[in-house]
Amino acid sequence: MSFLLTCPNCGPRNIYEFRFGGEVKTRPDENTVSAEDWADYVYLSKNVCGVQKEWWYHAKGCGTWFAVERDTRDNLPVVKEENEG
Amino acid sequence: MTPRLPESPTQRISRENELLFFYRGKPFKGLEGDTIATALYSNGVRIFSRSMKYHRPRGLYNLDGYSSHCLVTVDGEPNVRGCATPLRQGMWVTPQNVLGSPRWDLMGLMQFFSFAMPVGFYYKAFHKPSWVWPFAQAVIRRAAGLGRIDPEMPEGVYQNRYYNCEVCIIGGGLAGMEAALAAAEGGVRVILLERRDHLGGDLAYRVTRSNEGIPPYRRAAMLAEAVSACENVTVLLCTSATAIYQSNHVTAVKRGGAGDPYRETYLEVRARSVVVATGAIERPLLFSNNDLPGIMQGSCAHRLARVYGIKPGNRMVVSGCHDGMLEMAADLAELGIEIVAVADGRSSGFDTELISNLHRKGIPFLPGTMARKAIGFKRLKGVQLAPTFGNGRKRWYSCDVLAASAGEAPLSQLLQVAGAKMAYDSAAGQFLPGEFPPGIHAAGKVTAARGEETIAAQGKLAGLMALQDLGLGRTSHIRQVREILDVIEKRPAGRHWTAPPVGSRKCFLCFDEDVTTDQVRDAIDQGFDQSELVKRYTAVGTGPSQSYLSGTNLPLLLADQRGLEPGAVLPTTVRPPVFPTSLAALGGRRYTSSKRTPLHEKQAQLGACFRLTGVWERAGSFADAGLSQEVENVRKNVGFIDVSTLGKFRLFGRDAVKLLNRVYAGNMETVTEGRLKYAAMCNEQGVIIDDGVVTRMGESDYFFTTSSLRAGNTLEWLAFHSKEEDWEAHLVNLTDAMAAVNLAGPRSREVLARLVDADCSNEVFPYMAVRRMKLCGEVDALVMRVGFVGELSFEIHVPASYGAALQDALLDAGKPYCIRPFGLDAQSVLRLEKGHVIIGTDTDNHSTLHDIGLSWAWDRKKAGNQTVGAPALRFTETQKHRQKLVGFTMNEAFRTPSDGSIVVADGTVKGRVTSSRFSPTLGRSIGLALVDPDLAVMGGTLEFYTDGRLNRKGLPEIKTFRGTIVPVPFYDPEGKRLRG
Amino acid sequence: MMKKFMDRFRKKGRQDVRMWHEHPMKPAYDAVIVGGGLHGLAAAYYLGRDHGMTDVAVIERRYIGYGGSGRNTSIVRSNQRSKENIPLYDEGLKLWPELIGELDFNLMFFNCGNLNLAHSEAEAAGLKMTVATAQIMGVRSEFLNARECKELVPHLDITHRPRYPIYGGMYHPPGGTVRHDAVVWALARGADRLGIHIHQLTEVEDILVEKGKVTGVKTDKGTIRTPLVLNAAGGYSPTVSTMVGIDLPVTVLPLQALVSEPLKPFLHHVVSSGRYHAYASQSLKGEIVTGAHMDPWPSYTTHVTAHYMKHQAEALMDLMPCLRGARFMRIWGGLTDMTPDMAPIVSDSPIGGFYLDCGWGYFGFKSAPITGRYMARWIATGNCPEILKPFSLRRYRNYNLQRETAAVMYYTPWN
Ligand SMILES: Cc1cc2nc3c(=O)[nH]c(=O)nc-3n(C[C@H](O)[C@H](O)[C@H](O)COP(=O)(O)OP(=O)(O)OC[C@H]3O[C@@H](n4cnc5c(N)ncnc54)[C@H](O)[C@@H]3O)c2cc1C
Ligand SMILES: [Zn+2]
Repeated sequence: MSFLLTCPNCGPRNIYEFRFGGEVKTRPDENTVSAEDWADYVYLSKNVCGVQKEWWYHAKGCGTWFAVERDTRDNLPVVKEENEG
Repeated sequence: MTPRLPESPTQRISRENELLFFYRGKPFKGLEGDTIATALYSNGVRIFSRSMKYHRPRGLYNLDGYSSHCLVTVDGEPNVRGCATPLRQGMWVTPQNVLGSPRWDLMGLMQFFSFAMPVGFYYKAFHKPSWVWPFAQAVIRRAAGLGRIDPEMPEGVYQNRYYNCEVCIIGGGLAGMEAALAAAEGGVRVILLERRDHLGGDLAYRVTRSNEGIPPYRRAAMLAEAVSACENVTVLLCTSATAIYQSNHVTAVKRGGAGDPYRETYLEVRARSVVVATGAIERPLLFSNNDLPGIMQGSCAHRLARVYGIKPGNRMVVSGCHDGMLEMAADLAELGIEIVAVADGRSSGFDTELISNLHRKGIPFLPGTMARKAIGFKRLKGVQLAPTFGNGRKRWYSCDVLAASAGEAPLSQLLQVAGAKMAYDSAAGQFLPGEFPPGIHAAGKVTAARGEETIAAQGKLAGLMALQDLGLGRTSHIRQVREILDVIEKRPAGRHWTAPPVGSRKCFLCFDEDVTTDQVRDAIDQGFDQSELVKRYTAVGTGPSQSYLSGTNLPLLLADQRGLEPGAVLPTTVRPPVFPTSLAALGGRRYTSSKRTPLHEKQAQLGACFRLTGVWERAGSFADAGLSQEVENVRKNVGFIDVSTLGKFRLFGRDAVKLLNRVYAGNMETVTEGRLKYAAMCNEQGVIIDDGVVTRMGESDYFFTTSSLRAGNTLEWLAFHSKEEDWEAHLVNLTDAMAAVNLAGPRSREVLARLVDADCSNEVFPYMAVRRMKLCGEVDALVMRVGFVGELSFEIHVPASYGAALQDALLDAGKPYCIRPFGLDAQSVLRLEKGHVIIGTDTDNHSTLHDIGLSWAWDRKKAGNQTVGAPALRFTETQKHRQKLVGFTMNEAFRTPSDGSIVVADGTVKGRVTSSRFSPTLGRSIGLALVDPDLAVMGGTLEFYTDGRLNRKGLPEIKTFRGTIVPVPFYDPEGKRLRG
Repeated sequence: MMKKFMDRFRKKGRQDVRMWHEHPMKPAYDAVIVGGGLHGLAAAYYLGRDHGMTDVAVIERRYIGYGGSGRNTSIVRSNQRSKENIPLYDEGLKLWPELIGELDFNLMFFNCGNLNLAHSEAEAAGLKMTVATAQIMGVRSEFLNARECKELVPHLDITHRPRYPIYGGMYHPPGGTVRHDAVVWALARGADRLGIHIHQLTEVEDILVEKGKVTGVKTDKGTIRTPLVLNAAGGYSPTVSTMVGIDLPVTVLPLQALVSEPLKPFLHHVVSSGRYHAYASQSLKGEIVTGAHMDPWPSYTTHVTAHYMKHQAEALMDLMPCLRGARFMRIWGGLTDMTPDMAPIVSDSPIGGFYLDCGWGYFGFKSAPITGRYMARWIATGNCPEILKPFSLRRYRNYNLQRETAAVMYYTPWN
């Protein structure tokens, strides 16, 4: 176990109960997007060295998806984003 | 066994209970309470092992497992720390890293070649000419390592334990016990981990009374009693903490004692607050031959006598830099050991009381002096003492024991692992930990605190601070203790040793790796001037005793050599586990888990051979039948396969259809009640990741299946999209709630008809229809007409509890039609004949719907639902480089390229076979392959290459096959049987 | 007298024996390499050696080898999965002996061979495909059944006791291990001797771009003018790319590795298992060196976890039960710059003069010298060597990924 992540449903839990779900991104409109922009959306990441907003899923728990801000330099969550399940 | 010292209240051996053990095959006796090392020592064993590189003899050095001197093999378990492992009856102990015996070690010759092995020696030798290296390497390798792995080592005597508590205290000395008592006051759960087999720490063996107080060991006993009396404090003895990970997650290893069923227990403690009160360790003094057997830490000599009743030797010289050494010297003299001289590297700052004590006993005390050289070969013979600074008088003393240390260093390793930063404190002459992460506190000698009262107050304070973390703090209490701490006079810290003018070779900085101060100097000259670089280049501190002994000396020496202030160079990073942890303990008792379907027992009765696929145990085949029999029976009569592992979901809610439209490529608006729709799921790259069937059960209410291995991901996947859009769609995972059987074959309708009242005719129940039925008049079943194996078939879903009964009913009803079960092997042949792909087998992370001929499953005109993967499907549709899935038959009917064969053209790889089987139905071998587009031409020839064995020359024995690309399905291309 | 003489000798030696030197930073260099890891040092060395470009600076934030280059488990092999990847790794593997001679440093190439285990028929098929590909391309590799695996590595458990029983394995005799630190030092010495500057404890904070072209590098020790920058910052390559406005198809994941206490030699091969996410080899010193899977979330910390150590113990004991007697002594973490197709990005970029040598994930040690050699050629001549063409950044926008893995990557929701 290393760091704890707070599930809006279950409270602080061992990180290995969760699945990382990617950086929160805006999906381009599929009708107007170009092939290159779509590839960028699919493959590129910001890899912020600092606070970034990302999706997490409580896989070995209640099955809630939630977005949190986490500091990638120390793995500490910053603010809880959404509270409802 | 030599006689022990007379009984004294500090002893922890039980003279009545003799323990028999074996060392080098011979019987020895020790006492209950002994460690392996003390038992050996009392039997006159003085050389325990040999060092790694030069095979120099290693004697007793430390009694807490912080050095590698005493590593032995015990009952097949290598690298056991003899000095920290309780002796048990019947132990079989063998020395390590010796050719012969520790005393007569043939490899001992190595030390005479040490002149030829300067620092970084290996990097600069043996590589020219290049043919030398393999030989040199073989020699080096043979000499490497310490203990020997033993395949016979017992199993099952290791376990894991998991604890939760509010406050975890590491170290059961004065500070730790005070902290435990303070924290316990708060009524919270406290866990106290202590490495030794008793509480009390360094008080427990000391008898010298401080000023007017009670003797330290009494104080320790009283505190220990108080701690044990607290109901909310759990004390774990013989337990070494191994790390503090992020979020105050403590791990530890508990060594089992005499009556313990487990040799070792690995434990994890999740605490809200942690107090580290691990104390200090003596730092080795650097002088020539400072590794000879007979040279030990002062506390080692002291505890040997006071705790185990063993005389460390007859004539002893002491060379220390802290008060503990002075106390020890006087105390050992009391016990009848001749103290020849006591040198102290400091010239001021000692406890005067202790010095007058020495004087009273007539022991010569030499301030500003320290050991410069030791002589002896396998045993210490004498010591040269010389002034700490300058070139004053040197004197030789003959002795058989030298207690030597350069002062104390905090045991701050756990704090460092937790993230504390080290900084040099010139007053203490030590590197001290600071900047603790939240919820972590330190108390006692680990903070360089001195004096019982200071340490006790610090412990109390740490306990209160831990409570404060929990919101239980009493500010007034904390203030009180702080005030006490302020009042307690801080003793002036003496000048501490940095680096004496060492002249000769064989002045060892690291005993594990035989690294001398000269070698460090050479490394610096070569440009390795930072601790981390020196560590890597010379291997200082990378052996079993890690940085416990060399951790402080290395940076001080480096700074000294580079002409910098002490503290200008910082110690190396400490890495967990700070106490080496056996894999056996980490693994604990072996548990494995897998899922079984509701039909498992019943399938087993039919002779099923199970295999693990994902989390499931599934029937691969049935013992009594051959593969082709299972296949033929489905084609000719009727068979059934347990498909309970399929992902089964109900999805309902206002936005259910939107969600389906998002994740499936097809148009889900067209799904109607009573009908099934094939649905393929892609990722955003247009790559197919799953497929299944969907049906509508009612208003905004759907039922769908996924492939067996995808059930978990599908749940995640749908939940994600629903969450992202904030849709109202509820997903119920019915995978484990329902059993399912696929009944397939030309006679399947007749079998089904015998179980249900409903009309099963093709007109009423056509292909891709779904019906709710009552089985045997009572069981609710969902029956789907699908056709994965290419025959008339019915997928029957029933509540899981009826799964077993369903099999019985089918066997019963199917008897006249020669029903028999079939497994995964047969299914994979059957579906291949039909040209149905298995996702993940016939596709990979490049395969879009277009690449595998499933473009039709994508509805490109589906209204703006932002279907996952749709843009990628659009962009990849006409790309020229994409590999395509093609079907082939073999030119030689009976040769089958094994799965994993590659497709080759003009000597280059052009694709791979994804599935290939002999088809009993068609009487020839068939298969699917992913091939480069230029090869994907109907009627074209494919050349397959199957891996071969390497011959003597290392060349592969090539096996090639040819096949021809043909249309898929291979079997029943018009789908008559499916729809019949 | 004698002592004085010795001291003099030592002093004199002092200047001669330095492996590398400190230099004042110049205001301009012909090329600047960001990152003093193996890829950066190798590129620098070959720029000097093959192209006479010695006005080059390697900028390293900490000390050389601080990143993955000093943290890896030193496995080398050339049995990659795809035909585009094999040539580079094959040349890379063959380069070690040459490099050892040329750099006059014993890199301790331990040619023990690698055994990669399969635990099911399906996994075996995957490995056989890799074996067949290797064989067609002239790389020695063969598939062994379980019994043969045990003959090779007698401590393997080929019974049905393990959770995933051993089905067979891919044996690759030319592979093994190389002492990673030694490669760092030897390349640094080589570059230093050619006159290349290595600036340690210097951080690149920004990259200056004008009109779509690189013009300089801003460091915490001053600004450097240069028309050429190579991003060889390993786990930090995305942050360095961001300086010129390029996002990379990379996810930075932490990876942990462990060593055990030294044991007498008993494991004479690198044994790995994809299914168990574990591999192990025994170093020349006798330690079991083991590692394998990444924590599946991005992070720039090198934190280690209890979870991983326990996982590793369980996996290794299933594969080789005798390992239960070994003790883990040290665990550490490093960063891996993972691409979605498990192949590196060795590429030019939309910014003129800005080159990329990154995306090496957990497999970039073995290929560092050879990649540096070709990268140097590209930078010096401006022409992309044929062997590097498959690794272009453009492949992602072309939906034409490498085939180093068949599995869909698990660390994004875009499974
Ligand atoms: C635990 C582990 C095990 C591995 N095992 C293997 C293996 O067995 N075999 C194998 O082939 N590969 C292995 N790898 C992968 C391999 O280590 C890396 O791919 C390789 O070392 C990458 O080298 P590099 O030079 O690109 O990066 P690095 O060695 O990471 O060097 C990058 C350097 O850039 C510096 N830097 C970063 N940002 C800046 C900046 N802004 N300014 C200045 N300097 C900067 C860093 O300090 C670092 O020193 C492993 C990796 C890890 C983490
Ligand atoms: Zn939850």
